[in-house]
Amino acid sequence: MPEYTPFEMIAYTGSRVLEDEKIVFVGTGLPIIASMHAQLTHAPNLAMIFESGPLSPILEMGMPLSVGDTRACRKACYLKGLCAVFELTQRGYSDYAFIGGAQIDMYGNVCSTFEGGTYDRPQTRFPGSGGAGAMAANCERSIIIMALEKRRFVEKVEFLTSIGYGDGSPDYREKAGVMGQGPYRVITNQALFGFDEETKRMVLLEVLPGKTAKDIQDLVSFDLLVSPDLKEMAEPTAEDLRLLREVCDPDGYFLNRKVK
Amino acid sequence: MNDKVASKIKKVSNLKYDAALAEEPFEWWGPSPEEARRVMSAKSKGMHDKRTTLKEAVAKYVKDGINIGIGGFVNTRVPVAIVHEIIRKGAKDLTLSFQSNSICAELLAGAMILDPDHVSIKRVELAWWGYEVIGIAPLLRYLTSRGMIRLDDYTNYGMSARFKAAAMGVPFIPTRDHGGSDMELVNRGKMVVCPFSGKNVYLVPACHPDVAIVHVTAADMYGNCRIFGAHCTCPEITMAATYSIVTTERIIPNENVRTYPNLTEIPYAAVDALVEQPFGAYPGASYGFYWFDMEHILKFRSLCEEFRRTGNKDNLKRYYDEYIFGCDTFDDFLGRLPYKTLRKIKDMDGGQPIILS
Repeated sequence: MPEYTPFEMIAYTGSRVLEDEKIVFVGTGLPIIASMHAQLTHAPNLAMIFESGPLSPILEMGMPLSVGDTRACRKACYLKGLCAVFELTQRGYSDYAFIGGAQIDMYGNVCSTFEGGTYDRPQTRFPGSGGAGAMAANCERSIIIMALEKRRFVEKVEFLTSIGYGDGSPDYREKAGVMGQGPYRVITNQALFGFDEETKRMVLLEVLPGKTAKDIQDLVSFDLLVSPDLKEMAEPTAEDLRLLREVCDPDGYFLNRKVK
Repeated sequence: MNDKVASKIKKVSNLKYDAALAEEPFEWWGPSPEEARRVMSAKSKGMHDKRTTLKEAVAKYVKDGINIGIGGFVNTRVPVAIVHEIIRKGAKDLTLSFQSNSICAELLAGAMILDPDHVSIKRVELAWWGYEVIGIAPLLRYLTSRGMIRLDDYTNYGMSARFKAAAMGVPFIPTRDHGGSDMELVNRGKMVVCPFSGKNVYLVPACHPDVAIVHVTAADMYGNCRIFGAHCTCPEITMAATYSIVTTERIIPNENVRTYPNLTEIPYAAVDALVEQPFGAYPGASYGFYWFDMEHILKFRSLCEEFRRTGNKDNLKRYYDEYIFGCDTFDDFLGRLPYKTLRKIKDMDGGQPIILS
């Protein structure tokens, strides 16, 4: 197997999770790269929405550096503004939300607002919800990228920015007035997680070859459910890596970052 | 109609917040819908040449204590030229409203740090404040960690829908987000039971800025505006505000507007002051004209970060002295940039297609 970086593994896994014939609402960075890779391989009819306004662009000018990058508008089929694209999600036109965050709990609730202190006087204020809170609410399913660390996979998030399954009660999302079904996958470089249909708790589905369920549990603050059918994560081939490195992110903006 | 009903599920997170602040009686952080309507009704609606200078426009409309609605999205079509002039003029106790912004919010925050008696931000209603690939916003972090500004958090849709409600002339709009998140607890929206479906639905209040500041692709001299690339929330913000200051890359003949009226995204009646300002979003991007200047943003951000880490304002002050206070106009600022920089970002745009005819 060729060598790959943790970010390349996340992007490749993100690509695997995305199905063809769907619309994915992408956040900046790895979600865009994963979606581009999916379009180039198994999902040629996957379309992207960027929150500044475009639906289904052709990214022939290269990877947009952010979801507001003018390059994300290139050869789009429909190009309006934020109201239009988020209303697409409310109406059911978007199958996947593809987001990141700073903390996640066992029910897939994500924090991207602050850490430490109080809301009114936070020690470390993050940028805020941006589109993530709306995407997690109203795209049909959410895919979340997170670094696999105890301080990020937490018992309770410090601020619930992007809704998951709340406290796990079956009607949490209905009472919240949101339309999407909720968290679907959580992607890290060493493990892929899903959610148990009954309890809504996070389930370990796949581990990096050579890792065990215990290795993953040691990096998570809450008790993980483990799939009875635990699999090894597929690894990117030389061709996948070529696409990621030469086509998707040739300048290495997101794939060459150091893992914190 | 309904008292506030929560989605009933709290304590999912470890959130600590000032409940008294979050539960204080609702008040508009800018004009009420009725006030906004009165101002609009009283305006002369004749089609006249709206062209002016930024100096005159900002002097006329930007006052202490107002709510400024900022157009664009992160680094795209951000009204930087107008922000420079606001900083030169000075304005205190501002409320800022926007969905996602980077350099405009940080420029105003930096001006506040350098001289709070000249520029100050009291509170911000927003969804996101940062630089995306370039990093977090150091001055947001500085001001919030010291409790120097109050924030009111929504999603990008929430803020956009709030401007849309205001532009529609309605006092609130139902959304399918915020509910079940901690924004439900801390922001000024309300969960209610829908009188038709009987289900919970989250209402966000209209947001009428006193003054919208927006940069567009092209406009005729009356203020009929075209926007190419993402519209962001610019039409809604402009039409929500009681007054608007618009910069445009290019002035086009009214005849062109009348040939393709479908291309007008903001009608003349919603524009109070219009300034032709090429590169008016620099160092942000303007689709069809130039890409964003990563180097300049990195440089400014690094000065802000240096201040956050060391408390030393000298280099930050030097930036403002050189590029804002030391300039009479935005053209003076652009004149201090190397031609090669402007040439490069023009090339980086890649000739995105726009229609000026």
